[in-house]
Amino acid sequence: MISLQEVRQAAEKFLGDRWQCPVQVTDIRKIFGGASRETYRLEVSVDGESRGLILRRDPPSSLIDTERELEFGAYARIFPTDIPVPEPLFLENDTTVMQQPFSIMAAIDNCLTDVAGLAAEQRDRLGREKYAILGRLAAKDPLALGFAELMPVPRLEDCAAEQLAYWESVIIDDEIHPQPIARAALRWLKQHMPPPAQKLSVVHGDYRTGNFLFNTDAQITGILDWEMCHLGNPLEDLAWSMDPLWRGDETELAGKLLADSEAIKTWEQASGLTCDAQAFRWWRIFVAVKAVAIWISSSEDFENGQGKDTILALAGWVMTDRQNRILLTYLNGDK
Amino acid sequence: MIPLPDQSLRNLSQRLMVSLLPEFGSEYAVSDAASLGLLMNALADELAEGIQRRLVDIEEMKVILARCVTLEEERAMLAADITSYTMASVNDRHDELTRLLIAWHEKSEVEDLPEVNKAIWRYLHGHAERHAIAAVP
Repeated sequence: MISLQEVRQAAEKFLGDRWQCPVQVTDIRKIFGGASRETYRLEVSVDGESRGLILRRDPPSSLIDTERELEFGAYARIFPTDIPVPEPLFLENDTTVMQQPFSIMAAIDNCLTDVAGLAAEQRDRLGREKYAILGRLAAKDPLALGFAELMPVPRLEDCAAEQLAYWESVIIDDEIHPQPIARAALRWLKQHMPPPAQKLSVVHGDYRTGNFLFNTDAQITGILDWEMCHLGNPLEDLAWSMDPLWRGDETELAGKLLADSEAIKTWEQASGLTCDAQAFRWWRIFVAVKAVAIWISSSEDFENGQGKDTILALAGWVMTDRQNRILLTYLNGDK
Repeated sequence: MIPLPDQSLRNLSQRLMVSLLPEFGSEYAVSDAASLGLLMNALADELAEGIQRRLVDIEEMKVILARCVTLEEERAMLAADITSYTMASVNDRHDELTRLLIAWHEKSEVEDLPEVNKAIWRYLHGHAERHAIAAVP
C-alpha cells in the first residue's frame, strides 16, 4: 500500500532527476476504474509552468496480468501515427522508486470518457470516428511500426488459435468453480475455427467505449489502455468493441454509439478490409470467452487475497454473470 | 446476534451509500464506495438465496445426470448426500456435479446425444437466470 503523499514525493524526485530541474506536484488524484494499474492524475509545476501527467503504477495484483513494457512500447510506436494516444514519457522498472514499476504519460486535458450525457448526433459522430480510427489502426503495417521488436509475430493462419489457446489457459488456471458455459463455448470455438486473418494488424485488445478520451466537440483525443495489445486478426478488436457488455441498455448501439451495420461499414471503409460475417461470428464468441477469462482471473486474484481492489470483485462476479448470459445467447442460436 | 443478516447487509450498504458517500472528498473514494455498496447488496441477495439456488442447481443436475451415468463410481457420486448446508459444503457438491455435467455435455456433442444435450442447455439457461445478479444495475 502506498499513500498519495508517498506517490507525490517519489514523483517529484523522479521527475526532477529526469528533467534536471525542480519539480513540484501541485495536485494529485487517484483515478478509479477498470484499468489494470493504479492510475494517478498529477499536476506538476516545472520551471514555473504547469503540466498535467498521468502516472500508471503496477499494483500487487491487477485485472489483467500484463507486461508494462509492452503497453509503454505500444504507446511509443503508435504516438507518431494518426491514431491519437497520450504521449509516453517515462517507464521505470526500478521498484525502489515507488515500490512498484510505473510509467508516466502526458495528460490529455478537458476530456471525457462517459458518453451517457451525449446527444444522439454527438454519439453518431463519435461512433463514426471511433470505428474510423479502429479501421486505420487495422490498416497499418505493424512490422513497419516496429511492433516485431515488442511482441511475437503470429502467422495469419495462427492468429485465432494462438489467442484461443492463451485465454483457454487463463480459464483453466484461474477458475475457482467449474465454468460449464465457458467450456461449451471453448469447444464450439475449436470446432469452428475461422479462416486466416486477411492481414496482420495491431490489435488494441480492449478497444471499447470508456477506453478513449473525447472533447466537448465529440472528437476523440486519445485511445487508452493498450496493455492487452498484440499482433493478430483485426476482427478481434471490431468484435470486442461490439460486445453486448459495452452496450448497457442501448442494445442496438455498438458501444452505446452507433448501429452495428454502420460501425462495420465505417470500419471497412477506413481499413480497406472486409468483415466476413461467418468469421466475425467466431470472433464475437471468442471475445466473450476472452472476457470471461479476464473476469475469472480478477475474481481469482480477489478471492486469494492477492488483490483487494473493489473493481476486481465487481468484475469477477458481476461481469462473469453478464458475460455468461451473453455466451448463452450466442450459443443457443446454434441449437 | 444478527437475526436477519441479509437485511443487515442491505442496511449497511444503504448507510454507506446514502449517508457516508456524500461526505467523501475524492472522486476515487466516491466511486470505490459506490461499488462497495453495490457489492454489499449483491452479497445480501446471495446470503438470503445463494444456498437455495445452488440446491436447485444440484437437484436439476442430478436429474439430468441420472439418465446418463453408467459407471458405478459416477452412480455412487450422484447418490451421495450433501455433508452439511454450509456454503462451502454446498459449493463443493455443486462443483463436483458441474464437472460431471461438463463431461457429459461434451460427450453429448461427440456421441450425438441430442436429448442429453438439450437438457443440459436448458439447465444452463435456468442456472444463469437463477444466479443473475439483480442488485447491480
